[in-house]
Amino acid sequence: MDATSSLADKLASKTASSNSLDSSSKSSSLGSKQGAENGVLRDTPFAYLDGEEDQDQKNDVTYVCPYRGPVFGALTITNYRLYFRSLPLRDQEPPVVIDVPLGVIARVEKIGGATSRGENSYGIEIFCKDMRNLRFAHKQQNHSRRTVFEKLQWNAFPLSYTGKLFAFTHGAVSASWDGWSVYEPLAELRRLGVPNDMWRATKLNESYAICDSYPAVWAVPKAASDDILRRVAQFRSRCRLPVLSWMNPRTQATITRCSQPLVGVSGKRNADDEAYLSYIMEANAQSDKLTIMDARPSANAIANKAKGGGYESEDAYKNVEINFLDIHNIHVMRESLRKVKEACYPTTDDSKFQSVIDSTLWLKHLCCVLAGAVRIVDKVETMSTSVVVHCSDGWDRTAQLTALSMLLLDPYYRTVRGFEVLIEKEWLSFGHKFQQRIGHGDNKHSDADRSPVFLQFIDCVWQVSWQFKNAFEFNEYFLITIVDHLYSCRFGTFLCNTEAERVTDDLKHKTTSLWTHINSSLDQYLNPLFPASSDRAELVLRPIASTRIIRLWKGLYCRWNPGLCTPQHGCQRTRELLSKQDQLFKHVNDLRLKLINRIGNTQTTTRLASPMR
Amino acid sequence: MATGHSSNISSDMPDHRKRNTFTSYVAPMVGDIRVTADTNEWCLPSDLRDVHLAKPRLLSGEQIVASAPAYMYSPIAPMEESSNSSSSGGGGGGGSSSSTFTGGGNSNNSYNTNSSNGNNSNNGSRSTYKDSTFGLLSVTNFKLAFVPLHARSTLSTVASDLYQENAYLGRNEITLNNIDQIYTIAEQGRAASALQAARMASSRRKKLEPAKQHNINGRIVALHIICANFRLLKFAFQQQDSKLSDYGKLIASALARFAYPMRHDLSFAYAYREPYYSTLTGVSMYASKNDWARELIRCGATEWQVISASSVPQLQNRLQSCKYQLPPHFVIPKCCDVERFLQLSLAFCDSRAAFWVYSYGSGAASLVRLAELQPASQQDTKMENIMLELVRKCDERKQLKLLQLTDELPSTQDVQRAYQKLRRLCTPESPEKFMMQDDKYLGLLEKTNWLFYVSLCLRNASEAAATLRANITCVLQESNGRDLCCVISSLTQLLLDPHFRTIDGFQSLVQKDWVALEHPFQRRLGHVYVSRGGTEQAPDSEQSPVFLLYLDCVWQLLQQFPDEFEFSQTYLTTLWDACFMPIFDTFQFDSQAQRTRAVNEGRLVLRPVWDWGEQFSDKDKMFFSNPLYQRQRGDLGTAQNYRRSLAVGQSKMSQLPTQVQALGQSSPSRYTINPQLFATQSTVPQDRYLQPRHRIIDLAVWDQCYYRWLPVLDIRGGGQPQVDLFHRLLLSNIAKMQRCIELQSLEELPDAFYEAIGETRPKQQQEEPVEYVDGVERRRKSLPTTASGGGSSANGLAVVNGGPLQLSTLSSFFPFGSPIAGDAPHELYDILLSSSTELLLDTSSFLDKSSIV
Repeated sequence: MDATSSLADKLASKTASSNSLDSSSKSSSLGSKQGAENGVLRDTPFAYLDGEEDQDQKNDVTYVCPYRGPVFGALTITNYRLYFRSLPLRDQEPPVVIDVPLGVIARVEKIGGATSRGENSYGIEIFCKDMRNLRFAHKQQNHSRRTVFEKLQWNAFPLSYTGKLFAFTHGAVSASWDGWSVYEPLAELRRLGVPNDMWRATKLNESYAICDSYPAVWAVPKAASDDILRRVAQFRSRCRLPVLSWMNPRTQATITRCSQPLVGVSGKRNADDEAYLSYIMEANAQSDKLTIMDARPSANAIANKAKGGGYESEDAYKNVEINFLDIHNIHVMRESLRKVKEACYPTTDDSKFQSVIDSTLWLKHLCCVLAGAVRIVDKVETMSTSVVVHCSDGWDRTAQLTALSMLLLDPYYRTVRGFEVLIEKEWLSFGHKFQQRIGHGDNKHSDADRSPVFLQFIDCVWQVSWQFKNAFEFNEYFLITIVDHLYSCRFGTFLCNTEAERVTDDLKHKTTSLWTHINSSLDQYLNPLFPASSDRAELVLRPIASTRIIRLWKGLYCRWNPGLCTPQHGCQRTRELLSKQDQLFKHVNDLRLKLINRIGNTQTTTRLASPMR
Repeated sequence: MATGHSSNISSDMPDHRKRNTFTSYVAPMVGDIRVTADTNEWCLPSDLRDVHLAKPRLLSGEQIVASAPAYMYSPIAPMEESSNSSSSGGGGGGGSSSSTFTGGGNSNNSYNTNSSNGNNSNNGSRSTYKDSTFGLLSVTNFKLAFVPLHARSTLSTVASDLYQENAYLGRNEITLNNIDQIYTIAEQGRAASALQAARMASSRRKKLEPAKQHNINGRIVALHIICANFRLLKFAFQQQDSKLSDYGKLIASALARFAYPMRHDLSFAYAYREPYYSTLTGVSMYASKNDWARELIRCGATEWQVISASSVPQLQNRLQSCKYQLPPHFVIPKCCDVERFLQLSLAFCDSRAAFWVYSYGSGAASLVRLAELQPASQQDTKMENIMLELVRKCDERKQLKLLQLTDELPSTQDVQRAYQKLRRLCTPESPEKFMMQDDKYLGLLEKTNWLFYVSLCLRNASEAAATLRANITCVLQESNGRDLCCVISSLTQLLLDPHFRTIDGFQSLVQKDWVALEHPFQRRLGHVYVSRGGTEQAPDSEQSPVFLLYLDCVWQLLQQFPDEFEFSQTYLTTLWDACFMPIFDTFQFDSQAQRTRAVNEGRLVLRPVWDWGEQFSDKDKMFFSNPLYQRQRGDLGTAQNYRRSLAVGQSKMSQLPTQVQALGQSSPSRYTINPQLFATQSTVPQDRYLQPRHRIIDLAVWDQCYYRWLPVLDIRGGGQPQVDLFHRLLLSNIAKMQRCIELQSLEELPDAFYEAIGETRPKQQQEEPVEYVDGVERRRKSLPTTASGGGSSANGLAVVNGGPLQLSTLSSFFPFGSPIAGDAPHELYDILLSSSTELLLDTSSFLDKSSIV
């Protein structure tokens, strides 16, 4: 804590720190509270989940807290979590509790050796995927850290040690409503008005033979035969041909997604692909143009030609205009977020915080993605032009752009249920490689395939929800919960890379869906400002993508720093008012019924008696 | 170059949309006029005749000084002069008369910079996408007014509905007071190359120095006017062949003369002689001894006494009084007699020896303001020690903490520099500039130091508040005790005392700490132009928006404690605007003596800014209140008596606890309140203090005040206004239903009720048309919404969205920002009218009652 801070500051931060450390589950959704219903309560202070087993326990461990200094306590490791609770020193001070699912751990390292000097110099340091590091100090005698280290390795990285992820041990929890059924491809297409005169749904890829990273069900232009589809797939990187993501039911303007065409240095052409894009364009009667949004910077797109990829040339494709959205690749994003972590954890330098955040470029990258989505929205909504979105492989930046623009265009996706559908559809079914990007249960922490692409999308959603505070049915906590369980491996939702793999692994029956968990205790995820009736259906959101408006999501990135986690304001008062209103609704309704009865008795006709139907 | 109104509409979309940069922020809205704005690139001859028929509305005493036809540009028009600089060097010098802003031959679309696809940079280069309006620009002795000739453009006055409207100023008008800097853009010579053009473009923008107005050389094709309230106005003038009609020069020299008055009595305030009849209640002006005495009683400060200069013989003597710069009333330790105090005060800058401003807590620890010793006597701190000793004696526990603000806080010059840097960030003159700033915005923001200073102020105020809470008297010392002392002192009181978080209380606080104790508004806000030898830095040295720094701090508190303040951010923003309305005297003077002189000699009509009805209609004032605010239950009893309808004295009296009141009645007249008579104890609640977070990371940029003139940052349908309206509608529903229950009638149930119970509102009109024949009027606010499968808790906003009302294009700066026709319809007002927090207070008491029954 900086030395110059005043008395008031110390007081304030002290109360804050005790609050937040008291239950680390407050800012994190991983706490055991929700687990209590279906877990077993043993003598330990957290509720065990189904299938959760103790692996190791140490009673003389020191957690080196970057905020409160070293605290002494007990460490428990199960096959799901790492749990530390400090022994109470004084009565007033709440214990420090660390409750981390092992899935969150990116890397475990030993620090110091048996001969290291100095207090707390011998122990284990844990690097987490959720922007924090944990350091535990052990007694130097008897290799006391050895079992802890080994158990952590085994249980945090089961896939590197021929084990299985906890989600499978946890199994499928039965619930009144099964989250796996939230997304039914055909039902969702019907909601958009497919099939219709121009589009059809096809199960051509049912066995994932044409494209192994695509879903089984596609919506494609009616004009395109199955043969054309097969041939077009050959001309697209990884066979990811253009398939419908969203359609405006009113104007028929569509968003389709795909991967880059295999143009190459020589500028190859493919008549089927050109025809296919023209079918997409013709399926929208409102516009005689088709816009292609290439998510990459144009330089990258050109560079991809050398690897056989590239982009559609406007000469070859009739009535097509191509735009580059300047979004950088997964490696750039990973590096950027790493800098954000450096700036936010464990401590921040207040006097330089802004310029440090500026230099991470994270906010600029967010702006780019958001601006791209806004441009797609602009094309689809204002110009009624159909848009084709792709990047290189069409599973990272493309997913960000299509999902975001759909979120902006269609209020359905801004409800809890709709957002779940959106993630299931645009991210999971279209093969965003969660396994590779997150590295579930894998110890190769510096794998180049890892990247916070999905996290970046969630951040963008948060940015939009910050700008439009009453446009979303869910709140910030909902998004944080999704991020937490993106890593936790407790649920099957974010496991595997593709729909095909998920079917092979039978996730639906062997694991629980995150949505089952969330929807079983929905109240805490709801935004009180969201209007109850769906009359805002017409509303298209156009967020401002400027670094003047886009801000760092302190609630996520700075949540471990007790001095920085900001309490949610206003909502309490809103809830108060809402309950007051509901109370009055009841009062008035009682009064109304009373009056109606009285009127009914005296046979007086008066306008007070509203027609009861 | 096209002559006449070019009529190609959005069909030919400018391809600057293609790049994923600035232009994506200006994606047109449905219903946004910009989509179809075929701007008048060049006006018809008839327009030039018509334009002189467009006259600005004048107040009494207001005169037009100069007027000229001109184009008004939105702050960032994507097709702009400086964009030429980066153009791919297409057709240099195409049109001979091309003043660059008209988008002449060399304005190839520069948004397709090299990284973008080259194919398109030639197609859509002839973009007609411009945000300009043609009209008449006039300078009067009060304002700069632009009257558009064609009413359909964005800049014109579309029915602004619920957006803020000032009775004295139109949307396209600013007071001359508000003008801070003027830049002239000289005519462009013929550029040999794109590079040269770029160089020339930057050199052509020159700051207008009022002292050297004869230096306006060459033709002026455009003016950029930067206002103290962060507005940037851009005007361009049509080039005429004849040298005689250099309109730009005409306006520029008129502005140079009138926007920078050398004496205050040249201000319009003196020309505007409309009488003022006060409707002001509830605000303590601290213009009388009684106001101070009441405050002493309220705070339970028994060890202090009020001194009125008029009752001190020494200060009545001309020869003597000129040595002192004392306000008419001030509060000093009781243990010190006036003569002694006057003698001591001579040692301090501006004769500001310890003035009491506030006391807190059971021990009545006091907040005291003190200037530093005069430079001459700084070696000898004896006087200072004596003074501090006198203050210490007033403290119950004889404890005292001295906060030396000069060491802790920025100087007024620092504040001014920070403000100018911040304003530069908020008034980019071109899209390129905007993008450049956006690229490293947070870094630039940090370099302004503005938030750093805000953070320092909050920290010091927190420290002072903590000191008082610990029952220790706190002395704030600053060079002359009239600048940052005001900020810290009033912030401290705001943190401690919930009374100052009401609108009346806040206004009283500003009167007390800023007006009565004489913050030099005139100098700090630059109401009078001081020329000092013409050096670059000198004229600004006295100018410093210390008050804005304070307002910003208050805004930060409002963000952190959204339900603790009766006023809204709109109120604070309006307050900053009001600083530049010369008609109201509150922020016009350095001292009370100066004000008195202006009244006596200049026949100035005093008009306090707090009488908001003078400037704004009820609907505007409605948005000054914060829908989340709740009077504390503890205040409930007194709050009822506390209505603004009561006279000042009465309301203050009624606020006193009963024992005090009883004593008060025994005193002969309410004009001679003697604190001695009261067995006083502080009536300030002591459990309602605020502890703000004050680190820079916890602070935010006051977007409503600073960004509101930048349409590119307007989140249509989003931002805080939506949240505010949501709560206002909620309050309105509650109030309506409460009335229904009290009256036992179901006449005016809110639509939300019918939605909640899953029924449609009974359609009375169709079922009983006879009612209307009988003349029974029944108001119907909105059409019944289609029966939606009722959500469990309808919350009211649906009423608006379901009916004919649409808020989806409402500006996020509302009630500022630029209206789009019909985005804040007046129907909303009827609904909002019943959403006052005062009604809610009744509701809560009502609910308490009903729950008991």
